[in-house]
Amino acid sequence: MSYVEENKKTLERLVEAIGKENVIDSKIPKDRRVYVTIKTDKLRDAITFLKEKEGLFHLATITGIDLGEERELNYHLNRPNLIFTIKVRIPGDKPVVPSITDIIGGAVLYEREINDLLGVFPEGHPNPKRLLMTEEWPEGVYPLLKKWDVKSLRKAVDGEEWT
Amino acid sequence: MGLVTWARTRSPWLIHFNGAACNACDIEIVAALTPRYDVERFGALLKGSPRHADVIVVSGSISRKLKSRLKRIYEQMPEPKFVVAVGSCANTGGTFQDCYNVMEGVDKVIPVNAYVVGCPPKPEAILDGVVKLLKSAGY
Amino acid sequence: MDMSGTEFSIPIGPQHPALKEPASFLFKVDGEVVVDVEPRVGYNHRGIEKAMEARTYIQNLYLTERVCGICSNAHQTLYAMNVEEVAGIIIPPRAKYLRTFVHELERIHSHLLWVGVAAHEIGFDTLFYYVWRDREIVLDILEEISGNRVNYAWNAIGGVRRDIPSDKIPKFQKALDILAERTKYYTKVATTEATIANRASGVGYCSKSDMIRLCGCGPHARASGVNKDTRRDNPYLAYDEIPFNVITAESGDVLGNVVVRVGELVESVGIAKYVLDHLPDGPIREKFNPLQKVPEGEATNMIEAQRGEDIHYLCSKGDNKPYRYKMRAPTLANIPSLILKLKGGYIADIPIVLAGIDPCFSCTDRMVFVDESKDNPWDMTSEELRKYGIRWYSNGLNK
Repeated sequence: MSYVEENKKTLERLVEAIGKENVIDSKIPKDRRVYVTIKTDKLRDAITFLKEKEGLFHLATITGIDLGEERELNYHLNRPNLIFTIKVRIPGDKPVVPSITDIIGGAVLYEREINDLLGVFPEGHPNPKRLLMTEEWPEGVYPLLKKWDVKSLRKAVDGEEWT
Repeated sequence: MGLVTWARTRSPWLIHFNGAACNACDIEIVAALTPRYDVERFGALLKGSPRHADVIVVSGSISRKLKSRLKRIYEQMPEPKFVVAVGSCANTGGTFQDCYNVMEGVDKVIPVNAYVVGCPPKPEAILDGVVKLLKSAGY
Repeated sequence: MDMSGTEFSIPIGPQHPALKEPASFLFKVDGEVVVDVEPRVGYNHRGIEKAMEARTYIQNLYLTERVCGICSNAHQTLYAMNVEEVAGIIIPPRAKYLRTFVHELERIHSHLLWVGVAAHEIGFDTLFYYVWRDREIVLDILEEISGNRVNYAWNAIGGVRRDIPSDKIPKFQKALDILAERTKYYTKVATTEATIANRASGVGYCSKSDMIRLCGCGPHARASGVNKDTRRDNPYLAYDEIPFNVITAESGDVLGNVVVRVGELVESVGIAKYVLDHLPDGPIREKFNPLQKVPEGEATNMIEAQRGEDIHYLCSKGDNKPYRYKMRAPTLANIPSLILKLKGGYIADIPIVLAGIDPCFSCTDRMVFVDESKDNPWDMTSEELRKYGIRWYSNGLNK
C-alpha cells in the first residue's frame, strides 16, 4: 500500500528536518499510526515542518499523561491514512510547554484544557484562562495528576470530608 | 376520578433543568412531547421559565458549577412546587459516583419529591412519575 | 468594560429546547451586532477521565457510553477499539458489521434529532414534530436489537453483546425503506423551503481556509467545503468495504449545515441497508476475561461520530484499569470556528448558528449581552432569544 511507505517517509523526513539527536524514540505500531518522542525545544519546529511540508495541518487534540516525575504531552496530527503523534516530556517541577497556537490555530482550547487538568502552562498562548474548572476551584489543584484521588480532590475543593 | 378526568382538571406545567446530564434523559423528556407520547394531551406543558412552573424535572448528576443555579431556579418557582429527579444520575449520581466534579444526586442540592428510575427512563416512565407524584400530593 | 463578574450561559436551548446544558458564552454586542464572543465551557465537566482510571476496563464500557447520550455508542465503540488494540484482540467480521450498523443508526437518529431541533429554533414546529415522530422508527429498531432506546450497551470488549436474528432482518429492511422515503422528503423541505432558507442562508459564514486553520471537523467543516470524513480517510470497522458518499456543501453557512446533514441522513440509511444485506456469518465476540490485565501499550483511534471526528487515546501500564484515557469529543474542536461564525452576526442569528454546529454540550437558559454603547449588561432566556429571532426576521428587520 502506498500510504504505508508514505508514512514511513514522513517520519524519516521529520527526523532529518529536526536532527537525529533531537529524536528520543519513534515507532510505527501499525499501518496508519506513527509515534515519535522529541525534545521539547524542537516541538515548534517539528509541528511547523509537518504542517507545511507533510500535509499534517489538522491537530486532532493534545493529550497529557502524568508519568510521575514527568508529564508527557501527545500532539495528535492527522491526514488521510495517518495519525501522527508527537510526544514531548515536560519535567514535573517546571511544567511549561511552548504554545503552538500561532502555527495551528485550532490548538487554542486544547492547550487551555491541558493547563486546567494537568498544570502544564502553554507559554505564548494568547488567552490562557481557565476553561473547565469553576471560579471557586483552587489554584494549583490539577485533577488529572496521579497524586490526587477523588477524596482528596473533594477535600481540597469543598473543604470538608465527602461521605 | 380516572386519569383522563384528573388530567383534564389539573395540567401540570413542567420546567426542565439539565444538571450536567449526558442528554439521554433530556432527549427522552423532549420525546415525551412528540406525537408518539404526546404529553400535551394531558395538559402538561414544557415551559421555559421557573416562575410559571409547577414541577421541575431535573436530570443529570449536578456538577459543581450548577449547584447554585439549580438552587436559584428552585427558589424562583412559586408554591406549591414539586421536584422530580429523572434518571439514575439525578437519583444518586448514577455511573458518575466518585467523580470529582459531581454532586451525586439532586437531593444533595434541593429536596426531591419523586425519583424516576432508568438510564434513561422511557418517556412513559417519566410521565408516569410526574402523574403519580401529583396524584399523591392530592391533586 | 469589566465583563468578568456576571454569569451567563448560552442556551443552546435553541437547538435542544429541553437540552439546557450549561455552557456559557459572553457576547459583546454593539447594537444588534455581535462584536466578540468568549466561550466558557465546563459546566458539564464531571471528571470522567479521572474516574476511568479507577474503574476496570469492563466497567469503563458503561461509563464511556454516558459521556453523551446522543453519541453514546460512538464513544463506546471507540473505547472498545482502543482496548482491543492494546490487548491484541481482533474482532470477528460479523461483529464489525454489527457495530457499523448501530453506529449508522445512531447517526441517523442524531441527525433527525438535529433537523427537528433546528426547525424548532426557526419556529418551524411542524417539521420538528414530523421529524421526531419518524425518529421513533430508528429508536424502535435499536430497542429491538439492544433492549434500550438510548444507551444501548451494544459493544463488548471483543465484539458486540447481542446478535441480530436473521428472521428480524426483513422487518428492519422495511423500516429502513420507510425511513429512506421520509429522508427524501426532508431533503426536499430542507433545501427548498423558504422559511429555512431565509433564516439559514448567508448566516454564520466560515470560509474553507478558516475552517482548516481552526481544525474544525464533521458536518460543520463539510458545510464549508472541507472534504474530510474519518470513515473514508482513516477507515475503521467495516467502512473500507462499504460504498458511500461524503457529502459537502460550498456555502459555509447554516444552510450548508442543513444540506450536509440531510444528505448524510440519506447516505446513512443506505449504509445501514447495505450492512443488513451483507452481514457475514460467524461469531459475534472474542473472549475477554473481565479480570484480565491488559498488556502495556498505547492506542490512538479516531471515528466519525455524528458531530465530527472523535479521538480517544489509551495508555495502559499493564493493569486491569487504564492508566490514562483521554476523550476529545467533536464539539470542542468546533468551538473556535463557531466563535468565528458568531462574530459580526446579528443577535437574532445566535440561536441558529449555535444550532448549526449541533453542539453536544448543554446550555442553560440564560445569555448575557454586553452592549458597548449601553451601561448595563442585559440578559435573555433562550425562549426569549428564540422568539426574538423569529420576530426579528418576520418583521423584515434583516433587510
